[in-house]
Amino acid sequence: MEAIWDGLVEAFRLIFRGDGELFSIAGRSLLVSGSATALAMLVGVPLGYLLGRARFPARTLILAAVGTGMGMPPVVAGLVIWLLLVRSGPFGGFELIYTKQAMIIAQFLIATPLVIAFTAASIQALPARLPDLLTVLGAGRLRTLWLLAREARLGLLAAVMAGFGAVVSEVGASMAVGGNLVGDTRVLTTAIVTETSRADTERAIAYGLVLLAMAFAIVAVLTVVQQRSPR
Amino acid sequence: MPLARRLLVLFAVCALALTAACGGSDDEPGTIILATTTSTYDSGLLDELVPRFEERTGVTVKVIAVGTGAALRMAGEGNADVVLVHAPEAEAPYVASGDLVGGRLVMTNDFVVVGPPDDPAAAASAPDLPAALTAIAAGGRFVSRGDDSGTHKRELALWATAGIDPAGLSREETGQGMGATLTIASERRAYTLTDRATYLALRDVLDLAVVVEGDARLLNVYHAYLVNPDRHDGVAAKQAEAFVAFLLEPATQGLIGRFRVEEFGRSLFTPAVESPVGGG
Amino acid sequence: MEARFEGVRFAYGDHPVLDVPELRFAEGRVTALLGPNGSGKSPLLRLLAGLERPAAGRVLVGGNPAPAARDSVAYAFQEAVFLSGTLRANLDLALRLRGLSPSARRSRLDEAATACGVAHLLDRPANRLSGGEAQRANLARALSLRAPLTLLDEPLAGFDERGRGQMLAELPALLRRFAGTTVLVTHDRDEALRLAEDLVLLREGRLRAAGPRREVFAAPPDPETAAFLGYTLVPTDAGLAGVAPGGLRPGPGDFTLSLHVEQVVDLVACVEVAGRSGGRRIAVEFPSDHPLPAPGEQVTVSAPTGMVVTFTKPAPEPVDRPSRASVA
Repeated sequence: MEAIWDGLVEAFRLIFRGDGELFSIAGRSLLVSGSATALAMLVGVPLGYLLGRARFPARTLILAAVGTGMGMPPVVAGLVIWLLLVRSGPFGGFELIYTKQAMIIAQFLIATPLVIAFTAASIQALPARLPDLLTVLGAGRLRTLWLLAREARLGLLAAVMAGFGAVVSEVGASMAVGGNLVGDTRVLTTAIVTETSRADTERAIAYGLVLLAMAFAIVAVLTVVQQRSPR
Repeated sequence: MPLARRLLVLFAVCALALTAACGGSDDEPGTIILATTTSTYDSGLLDELVPRFEERTGVTVKVIAVGTGAALRMAGEGNADVVLVHAPEAEAPYVASGDLVGGRLVMTNDFVVVGPPDDPAAAASAPDLPAALTAIAAGGRFVSRGDDSGTHKRELALWATAGIDPAGLSREETGQGMGATLTIASERRAYTLTDRATYLALRDVLDLAVVVEGDARLLNVYHAYLVNPDRHDGVAAKQAEAFVAFLLEPATQGLIGRFRVEEFGRSLFTPAVESPVGGG
Repeated sequence: MEARFEGVRFAYGDHPVLDVPELRFAEGRVTALLGPNGSGKSPLLRLLAGLERPAAGRVLVGGNPAPAARDSVAYAFQEAVFLSGTLRANLDLALRLRGLSPSARRSRLDEAATACGVAHLLDRPANRLSGGEAQRANLARALSLRAPLTLLDEPLAGFDERGRGQMLAELPALLRRFAGTTVLVTHDRDEALRLAEDLVLLREGRLRAAGPRREVFAAPPDPETAAFLGYTLVPTDAGLAGVAPGGLRPGPGDFTLSLHVEQVVDLVACVEVAGRSGGRRIAVEFPSDHPLPAPGEQVTVSAPTGMVVTFTKPAPEPVDRPSRASVA
């Protein structure tokens, strides 16, 4: 009990003292997971839109694959990306292994199925005739997509939250492809692993608190936006 | 499809921006991947040494801490440039195959058997190491790394010298690093084999005492090897050589010898120049 | 704005939906596409709007292949679909997408909303309107565009009986005021006759007849079409004859037949006498002051020649019959 209390006190001290390492690691988590989520939205939203709207033979199969992707343990995504990017792997020449880019790629792989699934579900919930209506009213392709996205914004916000929440809190893939390098690829989750194994409980707790606070802040902002938007 | 093309362009722009934001790899000073063991890493020694090397040469060192088995395999497959490990028997095949070259002794320290301070198996009073292990086998619980690390390999070798089949023991494998394994042993009031450096570094938060030490069979030998650039593409051979040379420099060796001496009142590592097995 | 179909074939996958060799919607006219469910009315409307592309042939709107320039077509779907937000925002979006200035949008919006009776609903969320309100709002959105070509898919669906009656009365004036060339889809003969000047009859994706409603109505090309238009089919020696709705009267006349009475229903304003002739069920309206037959009796009924169409052969196979028609 005392260890927990001391840990918390020390953790808060680290946070409020503005510990440089803590904030650079937190910033890195935000950068890596934020980028991965943004890319996942960029790719996942159009794909989710297609899956939600179009009817084609392979659709069910793809939806099943997406569902499987959602359930894939992050560490498996990490393993796959590691095998691809490692020097002896097919894309080793790009020298991306143990970089933030590699982490972004792995987290992108984790977040994209979530984004696709959430987008497809929210697009499917829209009235089937809506795209036709916008076309007929004279909205161009991009305008139509924009208006549909606005219409499905609650679902899309859920997609952002699910995607970001999944990647910012994942360890396995970040550890495998990022290498947990100090000052380079160490993010909050992998730092927690390191500090735990080094028995620096205070730091581990501080990182955990920051991670929680960050996830909470982002989800809270998005939830407020979501709740405020009129239906 | 103008839309698809526009999205593609957007994607490319974002990817570029990201690459820029994360800092692309500069070709000149270069980057090397050092595959090493978690025990080496958890002691904090590399945090002390690597920045000095990086500052001096401009070469970035990516320290990937995994079990010895994994570190050797990584290096053996050309996925690293340098490897720093402590399991001579496991190193041998890679040296024989020519995947690892230029092996040098960097430092030594020793393994110790630690256990609950009250020593329920009375291992500390055993006349020698095999007898102590026999006592633990009879009257104690043992926690093993179980991760194919150098420490794990050594542990298995020690059971063999004592003529004990570890499969029949009250023995648990954590599959985790040394720090985590020590914590688990402490919590479960069990014995375990650890390198002294990690143990000393974590001693304050552990409820574990040294039970057996000083046996010649407990010597822990750290070798550095270069990944053979003739056998593997993309190896930064020059930078890797420079790193090994750096490890062996008198100044670095001095740092290794003095590492955290003030904190623990004794050195965690013995530099190669003073080591009982001699410089190599 | 004139629209025409030239050799148009259209299919959903392998399933042929429309085959229209030639069809013209004349400038300024209101045309009803009439046909049973699944006859291809809505696909025809979607082709006109450019929402579907023909597999073969051309759909020309104002002389150019569909889709026409966006501000030339207004389209009200059968189901009223709105974006989230108020009705005003929805109506405004439609006008904004046409690039109208804010002041023009406001006046157009108010005008159409008032005319369609939804002005009091403008600040309500569009997705919470009742069936009839939503349908009126849907119409207001299409009419506010004042498009040269206005397409209405079942404009009276979604109304209750009373609302439908009102709308049926208001719609012709609204169309005159706001719509240019109008094509509306309906499966109801009565609606078509009340709203449209020209009729296009569709069955199984093929044109059965097209032209001014009187012409189409006077000369159904085959028994099925005649039946759809409300004709009573009567067997004759040569084959089949069709008697226009209301054409049969009690007593002998130009075209006489004998009816075996099965049922007599008093509808107060008149009496419906139903029975069989040559195996076909036939219903005749008797004036309520006329002596009524009893079930089981034989009664003579007749129609004037002008209201009888004869089909010399049994129903020809629709496939063999090239459908060629032009409206007005």
